[in-house]
Amino acid sequence: MNTPDQSKHGKSDPLGLSKLGDIEPGYDGWDQIESALLTPGSKQSARTRNVAWLAMAASLVLVISVVLLNIDRPGPGAETSPELATSFEAPTSVEVKDNVNALIGLSQSMEEQVAKLRQETGSMPAESAIYVAELEDLIAQVDYELSQTPGSIDLWGQRVNLMLDLAQIYQQQWEIDYGRIASL
Amino acid sequence: MELDELTLAGAKRGDMRACEKIYRMYHKKAFTVAIRICNNRELAQDVTQEAFINAFKRIRQYRGDSPFWGWLRRVVVNHTISALRKLPRFDAVELEDYMCPGNGDQDSLGQCMDLEQALTQLSSEDRMVVWLHDVEGYKHREIGELVGKTESYSKTRLNRARARLRELISAGETHIQQTDAPNPLLNATS
Repeated sequence: MNTPDQSKHGKSDPLGLSKLGDIEPGYDGWDQIESALLTPGSKQSARTRNVAWLAMAASLVLVISVVLLNIDRPGPGAETSPELATSFEAPTSVEVKDNVNALIGLSQSMEEQVAKLRQETGSMPAESAIYVAELEDLIAQVDYELSQTPGSIDLWGQRVNLMLDLAQIYQQQWEIDYGRIASL
Repeated sequence: MELDELTLAGAKRGDMRACEKIYRMYHKKAFTVAIRICNNRELAQDVTQEAFINAFKRIRQYRGDSPFWGWLRRVVVNHTISALRKLPRFDAVELEDYMCPGNGDQDSLGQCMDLEQALTQLSSEDRMVVWLHDVEGYKHREIGELVGKTESYSKTRLNRARARLRELISAGETHIQQTDAPNPLLNATS
């Protein structure tokens, strides 16, 4: 079982560390390993669910943004047909409030997701760490503005987008770490 | 203790009995590598479990051109280093867990225990470098890559770790000599 490197221990192990014996694990983890291999609810699946969740959140933000754009601006045909232009209705306060609530909910869920990703990700390169710090600064700035205008749909949208960017960095870092292990 | 082709083929097919056989063959060795690096029993258990799960899921990627233990050990080492990066501090391994190989005489046991104790007192990075290099046969370049540092970082760490180990061992021996020495007060009275 020895690797070729181990044959030169006389030279590379001056303190005789290789003489130290194996340590008794004192537990048998086979049952857990077997169940992890047989059931789909493993860590990798949880990670895949995270990715799916992020994609879903991004789509939701996109949908909300498109809806908001359509509410803000009448369609191109509206100018040429006055009867259609008159049928355009300004967004009611209830619709706006619903969208704000949806974004607040999304933002809270993103917070949880980012916290989980942060826990699972190892150390990251300096560039990524700087980018994370910048994003967190921007989020803090948006939070400050939200404390002044808590009902601003634009600000909540910005916050969710920033959280998505943050989650993506952690996600990419995890994939790098995991890929390194998987490539062995 | 090299893995036979039949068991390997079975594990690649997803045969749980073959996987269990591999687990039983390498569990202790994998756990030893993990605990030597992280110096924490609980963490070593978690890491070993995760490493085995990961290894079995990816066993088809093992091409068989190098010893199986070398491949599995890399998975264990990677998982351990990754886990260590997430921890701010680790607890020391208990000396009572230690098993000294060899003839079991008191001198040999004492030397091993000194070394064992000294090893637990090293910083996590020093311990990792000295163990991976001196026992597992990793090269400085490989250690550098593992921890995201340079080859010379590994060399410096190794020299520092060995010097520290020698220092700790000799300090232990001095302590024992002092405690074993006859008590001058008792001699004076007798």
